[in-house]
Amino acid sequence: MADQVTALRAYHDLGEKAGRPGPAGVTLREVSGFSLTQIACWPETLTEVGAMAAQVAECTEAPAPGQLASGAQGMLLRVEPLKWWLIREADRQPIADMAAEVGAALDLSSARTWVRVEGEDASMLLNHFLPLDLRPQAFPPGSVASTAFHHVGITLWRSGEAFELALPRSFAASLWELLVDSAQQYGVVTGEVAYELEEGSEK
Amino acid sequence: MTARRLDQGGRIDRATPLTFRWDGKELTGYAGDTLASALMANGERVLGRSFKYHRPRGIMSAGVEESGAIVSVGQGARQEPNVKATMQELYEGLETRGQNAWPNVRRDLGAVNGLFGRFLAAGFYYKTFMGVPLFEWGRGTGLWMKYETLIRKAAGMGRASREADPDQYDHAHAFCDVLVVGGGPAGLRAALTAAEAGRDVILVEQDFELGGDLLNDPAGEAERGALVRSVERAGVRVMTRTTAFGLYDMGVAGLVERVSDHLSAPAAYLPRQRFWTVRAGATVLATGALERSVAFGGNDRPGVMTANSGRSYLNRYGILPGERIVVATTNDSAYVTAGELAAAGAEVTIAEARNAPGCELPAGVTLRTGVAPLKAEGRSKLRALRLARPNGAGWQAAGREACDLLLVSGGWSPVVNLASHRGVKPEWDAELACFLAGDCDEPVYMAGSAAGVWTREACETSGVEVAKRAMGLASNPPAAGGWTAPIRPLYEVRLPGRKAKAFVDPQHDVTCSDVRLAHQEGFVSVEHLKRYTTLGMATDQGKMGNIIGLALMAEALGKEIPAVGTTRFRPPYTPVAIGALAGRNVHGHFKPLRRTPLHDWNLRQGATMTDAGLWHRPWYFAGPGETLGDAYVREAATVRQTVGICDVSSLGKIAVQGPDAAEFLNRVYTNGFAKLAIGKARYGIMLRDDGMVMDDGTTWRIGEADFLMTTTTTNAGRVMVWLEELLQLRWPELKVHVTSVTDQWAGVSVAGPKSRAVVAACLRDPDSVSHETLPFMGVAPVVLRDGTEGLIARISFSGELAFELYVPGNYGEAMMEQLWTAAARHEGCLYGLEALGTLRIEKGHVTGAELDGRVTIRDAGLGGMASTKKPYIGKALQERPELQRPDRPRLVGILPKDRSKTFNGGALLCKPGAQSGFGEGWVTAVTHSPALGHWIGLGYISGGHDQWVGQLAIAADPVRGEPVEVEIVSPHMFDPEGVRMHG
Repeated sequence: MADQVTALRAYHDLGEKAGRPGPAGVTLREVSGFSLTQIACWPETLTEVGAMAAQVAECTEAPAPGQLASGAQGMLLRVEPLKWWLIREADRQPIADMAAEVGAALDLSSARTWVRVEGEDASMLLNHFLPLDLRPQAFPPGSVASTAFHHVGITLWRSGEAFELALPRSFAASLWELLVDSAQQYGVVTGEVAYELEEGSEK
Repeated sequence: MTARRLDQGGRIDRATPLTFRWDGKELTGYAGDTLASALMANGERVLGRSFKYHRPRGIMSAGVEESGAIVSVGQGARQEPNVKATMQELYEGLETRGQNAWPNVRRDLGAVNGLFGRFLAAGFYYKTFMGVPLFEWGRGTGLWMKYETLIRKAAGMGRASREADPDQYDHAHAFCDVLVVGGGPAGLRAALTAAEAGRDVILVEQDFELGGDLLNDPAGEAERGALVRSVERAGVRVMTRTTAFGLYDMGVAGLVERVSDHLSAPAAYLPRQRFWTVRAGATVLATGALERSVAFGGNDRPGVMTANSGRSYLNRYGILPGERIVVATTNDSAYVTAGELAAAGAEVTIAEARNAPGCELPAGVTLRTGVAPLKAEGRSKLRALRLARPNGAGWQAAGREACDLLLVSGGWSPVVNLASHRGVKPEWDAELACFLAGDCDEPVYMAGSAAGVWTREACETSGVEVAKRAMGLASNPPAAGGWTAPIRPLYEVRLPGRKAKAFVDPQHDVTCSDVRLAHQEGFVSVEHLKRYTTLGMATDQGKMGNIIGLALMAEALGKEIPAVGTTRFRPPYTPVAIGALAGRNVHGHFKPLRRTPLHDWNLRQGATMTDAGLWHRPWYFAGPGETLGDAYVREAATVRQTVGICDVSSLGKIAVQGPDAAEFLNRVYTNGFAKLAIGKARYGIMLRDDGMVMDDGTTWRIGEADFLMTTTTTNAGRVMVWLEELLQLRWPELKVHVTSVTDQWAGVSVAGPKSRAVVAACLRDPDSVSHETLPFMGVAPVVLRDGTEGLIARISFSGELAFELYVPGNYGEAMMEQLWTAAARHEGCLYGLEALGTLRIEKGHVTGAELDGRVTIRDAGLGGMASTKKPYIGKALQERPELQRPDRPRLVGILPKDRSKTFNGGALLCKPGAQSGFGEGWVTAVTHSPALGHWIGLGYISGGHDQWVGQLAIAADPVRGEPVEVEIVSPHMFDPEGVRMHG
């Protein structure tokens, strides 16, 4: 296969830390090498498709709206009432075809750019753009939200301490520039990281 | 006023002297000073000039209500006008200037306006429209245009910089259980109470220090310090230098945080300000109260201040603001100030408007009872105060007191502004002579002196109790009031028949006479009074003058104040910089930019980009020395001769999936999609409900229940929303999911006679694009030589043999490298939007320029695609008689009669000799056609080209150029049979 060129390939190498002196308050990294499959169902096949999705990810059950679940083979995000996103390593086999009456799968691996935001000031940085309550009690690890970032619809979730953003690929560089500019006040390090299943998932 | 810095005392840091400049003079202050206190300590008295009359003005207060010391700070692009010196923190190197004066505020030639004061009364501006008496009577003025400039020059405030704002601003969102606005005794107690009860609390204070009135009281410092530490320990998020400027629906508050306005050399990584949107479960407004003045002659003179500000300058800034001080009061609040000033060495006389004070007379202070200020004498320096005593319903002169400082307390006005933003009606409390906020049906609560509670102890109790209420607990806040003897309501002092300039709203130079004039002329409603006199419309928004203005109008009408009413306060409480509103949505980020997966690759190939909706798309790829015109003609010609490659990734792409997907598309498109075979694409047109064309594009059937719809670049979002709406609201029974996959795919169009060879060279199975395997409008999955999986469709926008090749976005550059290498072998080119336009105009293919929302499918020449056999959206309404008229403008091709000439896009098409009105049609697109060798265009004209056979039209563009004779032809100007495309 050819080399993948992600949306931020040309943007995330600042080299040194930038902005406020001292330890960086924010780390911004593009996560690469993942596959993203949308699994959609119909109202009457919600349980059936959820179970199938959970089986693929090897997690106990498919997550409820606004939640994610991690398993040994991937992570499931409930992004809409009838839709999950399955995030796995890039080279996994496509999931088995579903009968149209059961549901629909769709590859969105290149449609979203994944940005991980970490550090002491991560939630503050995001709140410069996102009108969401990100306090730990309101948005604990495992939470998923669809929200707006500078007019653009994005998906946000929290895994452990990090916030994860799935940005539409075409908008990713523009939104990344805003994040990097605003993060200067906290001190920022940028980079790229290859996708790995998060620790603590049910292996 | 002969102010001097005391050797000790105050909260300033005498170990940190700061140098700053005032009107070019270098002066020194201390850390902890405001610009106002530093100027006062340096003996500067005249700091501003008034709006209309250019009267000298000095410091009138110590807070946001300041109406005299209004100055410009900063230099160059950072010059900011109309800054209240009382709110500007001093820093090393601060540059400040007086404004609205020439040559300077001390000697201002504009002061000549004062002599014409009687012509500049309320409404003079409007009256200038009526015409010069006698000469222009009754027909309005023609001179207006001449003297408007002069008036605008003479009046006004500071000037903003003309340069672009060099600073950054951030927006920010925050959430809390309880938002406390105001860090005085009540606010601190409220924040502490809520935080100790486990609530998440944000405390907002506009000052740079917490404490409110505690900052003015050295005796309260220990308590203040302890309280502030407790608040911080309790986990309250404290935001100083932050103003809550507005309250909105659902517990939303707008804040402006001044991050670096107080720093002499702010770091480049810091924003200047942050604009916060706070969503709070409950809001406690401990916003304090502002002291009012009284209207009397010369009440705007330098040396006349509110009483409590005298205390602030003494105790907070260590300045004795005068040597011989008169404290004119109507209530008990000024007595502490008088005593402290006397103790600090000033000679202090209290002019008490009541017959007896309600509290003990402080040591060393002289008391005169039953007198009120009548006229401040002096010009730029106060010399004496003439007093008056009541005489029946009016006043009579009662002697003169020499003084260099006059402190006035006409009572206190609780800051109810933020509650007013929520629609809470202020209610007049006659006993306290002030407006209090009425009940609010939202969780917004008033605490402390903002609720009319006057004593320190009661304010603290109020903070505690109101915090409990905000938490939904039982509470018992103290009642408003707290003085032992009542206030004597006093708004104006004047002698009958004597003229005096007594100011109601000093910032806008509104006098008592102006209010009476408004009444005489019939502007008696409080809303009319405001607009006619501009009372309350200056940068302080009526903080100083509103109550006095209402009182005067009430008197003129013979009514009580509540019967006159009050205007509602609107946001912002204090001015908000435009930059803070804009945040980071400026320059290249005014709108988010969309980049295709090939964006950087295109740039590396020398693309010049152009906007297409939010996208940047290649416009043209100029070779050495080529202009736009050279480049696009070469590109279009190359496509027709060999092959060209164009990035079409920005086309909208929507996955339509589900057992009812075919049925859904069949309802959305005018033509049939139910029987589209797997592996086939079809061009479709969708209409709006009103029968007008909405969008067009090809839709590909990938599987039985799996379609890929393409839309135009600019309509992609609209179509997506439309499809979602149809599925959710109109046809919820259809089992269809639509998902935008625009961003998933990198797409290119490979067009031209050599396109098959180029594409085949990049595929594992070159035969998969043979004419037999992939006929015209065929769609198939493909594998590139490097293993990348994608989709290919044999569709053409250019009219040539052409393919659209899609791979996942991350593989876009790799695909492009392979195609480009293969195309080079055929002397192919990259082409941009301009050449794409040329190719489609030659073919008569429509885009957004033709499908502009006003045309029907028949107008666009695509009537054959409107099915008669099935229903579809827009079918009924496109049958409206008006849309059936034979003379409706229809899509046509346009050629200049003289083939060497050109004409303009947007020109009107007219009958010869009838170049007027709307004409018979219009030109939508023009290009130079390399295939035909001359300029061509598309457009709409009444009846279509059949009606214009043998008849010339005129392309008229009276604004930009000469009329041009044109021939009206079929829009299919090149290869009308489509031989090349099917080849």
